[in-house]
Amino acid sequence: MSRRRHPDRHIEKALRYAESHGWRIELLSAHAHGWGKMYCAHNDLDCRCGEFCITVIWGTPRSSENHARQLRRVVDGCVGGSDVPDEDEA
Amino acid sequence: MSEHEFTLTFALAAPDADMDALVERLGEAGCDDAVVGVGRRGWLALGFTRQAEGAARAVGSAIADVRRAVPDATLIEAAPDLVGLSDVAALLRVTRQNARKLVVDCDALAPPPVHEGRPTLWRLAKLLGWLRSEKGYAVSEELIELAGITMQINLAIGSRDADAAAQREIIALLS
Repeated sequence: MSRRRHPDRHIEKALRYAESHGWRIELLSAHAHGWGKMYCAHNDLDCRCGEFCITVIWGTPRSSENHARQLRRVVDGCVGGSDVPDEDEA
Repeated sequence: MSEHEFTLTFALAAPDADMDALVERLGEAGCDDAVVGVGRRGWLALGFTRQAEGAARAVGSAIADVRRAVPDATLIEAAPDLVGLSDVAALLRVTRQNARKLVVDCDALAPPPVHEGRPTLWRLAKLLGWLRSEKGYAVSEELIELAGITMQINLAIGSRDADAAAQREIIALLS
């Protein structure tokens, strides 16, 4: 892993989870609030993450546990994470 | 105080805005309890986990915070309101088959969907109220309150396009 670690361990674990699902993480420099951004590997029109195809990673969010959970949920909501088609269409 | 989870989607007045600077303003304005999505040009989505005394205060303060950071952004949707079966399953923490059983394959007549198709969509507030009163299903008071507020917000957003004269005629026709 070549990138810098996130200072919070909950968020760092969520970022590794995202990376294991093909997400790319880019760091923001010289920003007080935004620490970085994560990019979905399947950024196209079929993707279910929509706006969350690029998701902001806070440096010091209100609650790091909550933020870690939010980031994981974005990864889990991404259609690229599985080969299952949108179930609501069945 | 309890935590309320909801998503607000905004359209930006300037699609070419400097998103990194905008994110800093959101952080400054107290939106650091939201996960921020900037993956679609001209759009902004915030998935809040907000602590507040009641869902109305949670959603209201979140909208005010975003508008302080991005005054010219237009709210276009509040969620959860329009939901498919997968959303219902996730919100009630049951399997999708169970959600289908509860809402579709049941004897009691469920609230009709607002859109039938792929996917079929219901209004969450209507479904939850029905699940609680008709099916004796345990639904959290906070989720019912939240779904009621997001529904009212989306109805207000929809009414931006309403033509008063046409609406009067249609309401007379429907009543």
